[in-house]
Amino acid sequence: MNENVMIICRCEEVTYHELVSTATKYKCSARELKLRTRAGMGYCGGRTCRTMVEKIAQSMGTNTPTETNISLKVQPPIRPVSFENLGRISK
Amino acid sequence: MKHINHRDVVVIGGGIIGAAIAYYGSKSGLEITVFEKNELGSGTSSKCDGDILAVDKDPGFNSQMALKSQKLVHELHTELDTPFEYRNYGSILVCENDMELEAAQKWVKQQQNAGLDFRMLDREDLRNESKYFADDLLGGLECQTDSMVNPYLFTYSLFEGAKRYGAHIHTHTEVVNLYKNQAKQFVIETNQGTFTANKVVNACGVWAPFIGKMLDIDIPIKPRKGQIIVASRQKPVGVRNVMEFGYLISKFGGERKVDPLIEKYGVALVMEPTESQNFLIGSSRQFNGYETKVDNEVMKCIAHRAVRFYPKIADMTVIRAYAGLRPWTADHLPIISQVEAIPGFYIAAGHEGDGISLAAITGKLIEEMINETNTSVPIEPLSLNRFHASLEHSFD
Repeated sequence: MNENVMIICRCEEVTYHELVSTATKYKCSARELKLRTRAGMGYCGGRTCRTMVEKIAQSMGTNTPTETNISLKVQPPIRPVSFENLGRISK
Repeated sequence: MKHINHRDVVVIGGGIIGAAIAYYGSKSGLEITVFEKNELGSGTSSKCDGDILAVDKDPGFNSQMALKSQKLVHELHTELDTPFEYRNYGSILVCENDMELEAAQKWVKQQQNAGLDFRMLDREDLRNESKYFADDLLGGLECQTDSMVNPYLFTYSLFEGAKRYGAHIHTHTEVVNLYKNQAKQFVIETNQGTFTANKVVNACGVWAPFIGKMLDIDIPIKPRKGQIIVASRQKPVGVRNVMEFGYLISKFGGERKVDPLIEKYGVALVMEPTESQNFLIGSSRQFNGYETKVDNEVMKCIAHRAVRFYPKIADMTVIRAYAGLRPWTADHLPIISQVEAIPGFYIAAGHEGDGISLAAITGKLIEEMINETNTSVPIEPLSLNRFHASLEHSFD
C-alpha cells in the first residue's frame, strides 16, 4: 500500500503524506500539526489517530517534549452527545 | 554568563494581537522580535470563535473601529499567503421577544447613523435564513460587513507574513523580568536569556497585567471565562454567524428575561458555521480567575439555549467543548496605548471577546504609534489614562 495515500485521521480524512509534509514545512508541534491539518479534530476526538499524529511530529524532530510542550489534550465530552441529552437541565 | 541581545521593538505575546502587530510592524520596516511563553496562538486565540464582527460593537467609535478592522482583514485575505478560511457573508442577531425587537430597532438606527451597513430582518427573512430556527422568533437584524475566519490559522498566517518581512519569532520564551536600565533601554529577562530593546509592546491579553506589574504599571484587565461547544457536521444549519440579541445585553451587562442559570453563566446563543462544516455554539461569560476547565453545567446551559433557538438540532451531536479567557476591561474597549510614565512602552490588550475582530486595526494602530504617523482611528478612547483619570474623578 502506498503510504502517501494512507489515511491517518479517518474522521477528517487526513493522509500520512499530508501530515508528514505539513510537519516538514512548518517544523511544528503535534498541537500545531493537528490544528493545521485537522487530524484528530473529528467525530472520534482523536481516539484513533492521536498517538500517530504525535509520533509523526516527533519523528520530524519538532515535538521534543519539554516542560511547555505537552502532548495532545483530550477535551470533554467523553463520547459524542446529542444537544437534547446534553441540554436537559434538571430543575 | 549572560548573552546580551539588543532588539529594536520587542512584542511580548504570540497570540492574534502580537501576530497583527508583528505583521504590520515588520511590513512598515520596523525590526520586530516576538516572545511567546508557549506556542503561537496557544492562549485565548485558539480558545475562541472566529467572528470578525461589527454587529455587537457599541454604535459609534467602537463599531467604526470594527468596520476599519473588517476592511483590513478583507485586504489581508488576499495579501497573506496562507489561507485562513475567510468568509464575508455578514451576520445576524435574532430577537425572541418584543423588548428585544424594540432594542434591535434602536441599535440598527444608531449603527446606520454611525455609517454601518445594518438592516432589520422580519420573520420571513429568518425563515429564509435557516429552516432550523424556532418558529416563534420575531425577527432580527443583519450586519452586511461581518465576516468569519479560523482564528488560529489567521494567527499563523499573520506570523508567517511577519517572518517574510524579517520579524524574529521566539516561542517557548517566557519573560520573567522587565525593567529600564540607566541607558534608558528595556532589559527583558527571559528563560532563554536576557535581551535589551528600545521599545516594548505588551500584547499579552489576559496576562498583560503581569507584564505591567514588572514595570509598576496597573493594567485593569480581568479574565472573563467563556465556553464553546463544537457540533459535528450533519446538515447545514446556516451559512453565516448568528447570535441572539440577548448576547449584547449579556456582554454590556443589562437585564434579560431568561432562566436564572442562563443569567448566572451569562449564556447567550452564538452559532458560527466553520469551513469544516462543523458549527461552534456559544457562549458563556464568567469571572472565575484564570482557570480554563470546561464546566459541565455551563456546557449544558449552552446546549439548552441552542435548542431554544434551533429546536430541530436536538438530535445533532456535540463532539467537543473548550474554554478560554477573554481579557475584559470595564468599558469594553481595548487598551491600545502608549504608557506616558514609561516612554517606549506600549499596551495592546484588553479586547474582551473582540480580539479576532479588532486584531488587524490594533496591529495597524501600534505600528502607526511607533512610527509616529497619523493613526487610522482616534486613539484617545483607547488610552490607558482613561481608567486612571476616571479613578481620580471618583475621589473628587
